[in-house]
Amino acid sequence: MKISRFLLTTALLGGSLSFAQTNKIKFTEYDLSNGLHVILHEDHSTPIVAVTVLYHVGSKNEDPNRTGFAHFFEHLMFEGSDNIKRGEYMKLVQNAGGELNANTTFDRTFYFEVLPSNQLELGLWMESERMLHSKIDSMGIETQRKVVKEELKQSNENTPYGTILIESFGHAFTEHPYRWTPIGSAEYINKATLKEFIDFYKTFYVPNNATLSIAGDITPAQAKKLISNYFDGIPKSGRTIPRPTIVEPNKTSEVRDTVFDNIQLPAVIMAYHIPGQGMPDYYAVNMLATLLSQGKSSRMQKSIVDKQQKAVFVGAVPVPSEDPGLALMYGVTNMSVSPTDLEAAMSVEFDKVKNELISEEEFQKVKNQIENNFVTGNSKMAGIAESLANYYVYFKDANLINTEIDRYNKVTREDIQKVARTYLTKENRVVLYYLPKQNEIKN
Amino acid sequence: MKKIIVFATVILLFRVGYAQKLDRSKRPAPTPAPEVKLGEIKPLELSNGIKIFVVENHKIPTVSYSIVLNIHPALEGDATGTADITSKLITSGTKNRNKDALDSAVDFIGATFNASPTGIYAASLKKQQTKLLELLSDVILNPDFKQTELDKIKTQTLATLEAQKDDPDAISTNVKSVLNFGKAHPYGEITTKESIEKITLEKCNAYYQTYFRPNVAYIAVVGDVTFLEVKSLMEQYLGAWQRAEVPSAAFEIPQAPATRSVAVVNKPGAVQSVINITYPVDLKPNSGEVIKVRVLNAVLGGGASSRLFMNLREKHGYTYGSYSSLNYDELVGEFSAYAKVRNAVTDSSIIEMLAELNRIRTEKVPLEELEGIKNYITGSFAISLEDPATVARFAINIERYHLPKDYYTNYLKTLAAVTVDDVYAMAQKYIHPENATIIVVGDKEAITKKVAQFSPASTVELYDNYGNKINLAAKIIPKGFTAKTVIDNYVKAIGGTKAIQKIKDVRIKMNTKLQGVDVNVITEQKAPNKFVMSFNMGEMTVQKDIFNGVKGKQTGMQGNKEITGDALDELKTQATMNIEMQYQKLGYKLNLKGIEGINGKDAYIIEVVSPKGKKSTEWYDVESGLKVRSSQTADTPQGPMVQTTDILEYKEVEGVKFSSVISMNGAMAMKLTAETIEVNTDIKDTEFRVE
Repeated sequence: MKISRFLLTTALLGGSLSFAQTNKIKFTEYDLSNGLHVILHEDHSTPIVAVTVLYHVGSKNEDPNRTGFAHFFEHLMFEGSDNIKRGEYMKLVQNAGGELNANTTFDRTFYFEVLPSNQLELGLWMESERMLHSKIDSMGIETQRKVVKEELKQSNENTPYGTILIESFGHAFTEHPYRWTPIGSAEYINKATLKEFIDFYKTFYVPNNATLSIAGDITPAQAKKLISNYFDGIPKSGRTIPRPTIVEPNKTSEVRDTVFDNIQLPAVIMAYHIPGQGMPDYYAVNMLATLLSQGKSSRMQKSIVDKQQKAVFVGAVPVPSEDPGLALMYGVTNMSVSPTDLEAAMSVEFDKVKNELISEEEFQKVKNQIENNFVTGNSKMAGIAESLANYYVYFKDANLINTEIDRYNKVTREDIQKVARTYLTKENRVVLYYLPKQNEIKN
Repeated sequence: MKKIIVFATVILLFRVGYAQKLDRSKRPAPTPAPEVKLGEIKPLELSNGIKIFVVENHKIPTVSYSIVLNIHPALEGDATGTADITSKLITSGTKNRNKDALDSAVDFIGATFNASPTGIYAASLKKQQTKLLELLSDVILNPDFKQTELDKIKTQTLATLEAQKDDPDAISTNVKSVLNFGKAHPYGEITTKESIEKITLEKCNAYYQTYFRPNVAYIAVVGDVTFLEVKSLMEQYLGAWQRAEVPSAAFEIPQAPATRSVAVVNKPGAVQSVINITYPVDLKPNSGEVIKVRVLNAVLGGGASSRLFMNLREKHGYTYGSYSSLNYDELVGEFSAYAKVRNAVTDSSIIEMLAELNRIRTEKVPLEELEGIKNYITGSFAISLEDPATVARFAINIERYHLPKDYYTNYLKTLAAVTVDDVYAMAQKYIHPENATIIVVGDKEAITKKVAQFSPASTVELYDNYGNKINLAAKIIPKGFTAKTVIDNYVKAIGGTKAIQKIKDVRIKMNTKLQGVDVNVITEQKAPNKFVMSFNMGEMTVQKDIFNGVKGKQTGMQGNKEITGDALDELKTQATMNIEMQYQKLGYKLNLKGIEGINGKDAYIIEVVSPKGKKSTEWYDVESGLKVRSSQTADTPQGPMVQTTDILEYKEVEGVKFSSVISMNGAMAMKLTAETIEVNTDIKDTEFRVE
């Protein structure tokens, strides 16, 4: 809704990994009879509580002719409910001293409120209202259509390099629904009828497709009673929840294109197909990306930005996704450096990983960086609630918040070399050049 | 830090136990508010004057050291950006570790380590703390700024500035700083290409030596540490940091303008306008009004259910978000109301924003709204305490801003006491829509007419990306001035008819890099209109275009072919020596369209229409008379694109000026530099043979 940031974009710009901490996070979890999964984490250090609901619906669940629905709902579901008047949703949370927001990815949508802990019940009431009977009507749809169009302009058209995700995924996928991105299309949102919106709501925004994750200053026994009060009565949905089964065909030749954008410095984006999150190779790819671009001594930073000065900015980011996705390797050229030149320099770094096993010392550095990311990743309640829900929904194992680091520790130097050789190949990639659109000349 | 005490949930238990049937229409009431208590911080002062605040937090095994300098540096003047660049040099090597060694050492322990003009931040896992402090100490005690690193940083900074040319928010921020604070105030100083070029290693060293001193430093230590541990570590690692007298500059407080004005920054083709309604305010951190002002701003535009957001986004759908800020500062604060909206509603949005500013001044805030806002700020305050660094920041603020010792412990009490009348009084004092500058960054053509109404005189002032006023007065074309005058002046400027006519032939070799490869372009031209142009990579000619005065031919790696049709016309134009002198004779039509700034200098705009009706545009510098830019639409595989050529430098040979550095933009961007320009070498006609 409000700053409905796309996690992916954030990951792309921030360029860092995000994991949970190693100090053990305790939690309890259970299912209600309507299928709602509940996770509770108790922490009394600050008198606040994060109330969050993750719906297992993202852009990949959308009809190709109705893209943008999941994201549109991220806006629509702040419009109110049978018992919350239009425009009141945000006000209620704010007046209670809380913050709220939501975000959408390819795979899921996440709604959250952080409230003073004495307002836990308010948060539960509001989330249950949203799940039971959100206000889906033509008036709310009209307002949010306009807002989403402004969001599209702001994040795509008026932001330099703002279309990198759209272009990368759009070129890389021909069959799988990752070929469109969560922000979707204004055209389809305009075309959709009220009935289609209601259908989408009844299909996906149901307890058996949701995880309620709560973290903070709570007493689990009391929280359970309140949850039962507000959520038990929400009926389980009888509809089957559609999940795409399309497998993107293996790539046999490189895809290459040019994008003209309102930018001054050209950029090179090399997007490689990689396995989905949780696969053993995914962890090795993550460490490969850390080796390439995390920190000033990383391969791409040191060689391309610092020594050769061919780029002002480089990054290597595996985009986390449920189905096989992409790792984006990118750079923005330094002044008077051609994209071809930058691409060549990036390829040299990739070849080096493929051809020479990394040293024990550099490997240790990457492991230390990964450990640090893991420990510092979840220091806030909203983040812990979100990680717990993600781990449960994607891997059916919320305890990965404590143990995922073990999966990284299994990765060897040879694995890193292997994934570089396997995935960083020419036929497995999309190469995009972002070039400056000529400033329009006005008389 | 003491654990924050929470009175939890006896009543909650009671309620739930008896809740039999759920009435969903009833909004749940909160249980009694939890008490928010701040822990005490143990302060510590080293003999060299560093003031240290330790916040113990054993939740996760990390530690951070945040150094904050309490300084008011002097103006940077023509070398604006010195402090920023100095901060980058700080992490670019020491006497013991060159840049590579320092970078590796930081990354090896997975640390975060960066510097700003007013401090240094270092954080790592607790188990790496000793190593981290070794690096921090080395950077502070043994700086070694190197010219090679400075050069690299300057290049990077220039590229970043270049990239910002297309970022409307960056442009808006720059212009806002200049217009609100003026260039005689440090907050109004803008880093530009020119100012970066003026930055030297001496200036950076001077900045570091002057301002990075322990006696003006606060350090917040937060994490899995104990007070005693920190005390001995700090003595060990930073005890040798030498104190020195640190000068503190003072400045006149910039005043809000007497009347409202509208400033437009042109961003051709923009699909949205970035609107800022803004002015400077005098609001000191210790004025006693900061909390009341925070309430005022939260009502107006502090968040997603404040008035601006609810009006512009939720009611009208004009924008993705509209907010306001009212910042306090020791030197000078700032008010700003902000929105990014589609071009068509630029004016409607400003109308709504001004209406909200006026409403908060003329109508008292309803009590219910005020209570909601106070709850919101109370909650935000509690949520901010989730980050243990918040308490350390509070302690530093009390010190540097001379706040009462119990300022933050009483924060929520002070907040609870804010009344409707307080907010009204604050609005009278700090909300001044009539004295604001309305800055709009957007497509001039689409918005200028819409926004003029907001200045009392219905005028709009144009600014460049750096807040320099584009002088509209000078833009009036002098009386009697025509396209012909411009061309005549140009001919004079490059050497005059006599000198030009003495040039019978010319050969220019220009160099560039294309797709990473060295390329040279050789053009030979012989009066009146023989022409050959070749693109060469090393010894190899990639393509060669030849025109013998009548016919054209292309040879090269893609084979040979005759040039005909539009391409031949284009080649003919290009082949004609000093075509500017012959426009009239050859049947070209010229229109003087106006004046506009090109690369910071005013230029006449001439539209050139060929006898066949093809249009192109040329710009001639008002002052020097020289041609500075030309542009035309070219057909490319991506569709028609405007190709622009900027002439950046001229070189005089035999009394005539030739363009020697040109920069091309459009389908492909490149910069060409002339290596040699030879005239009257008697180029043989055989060079231009087409058959």
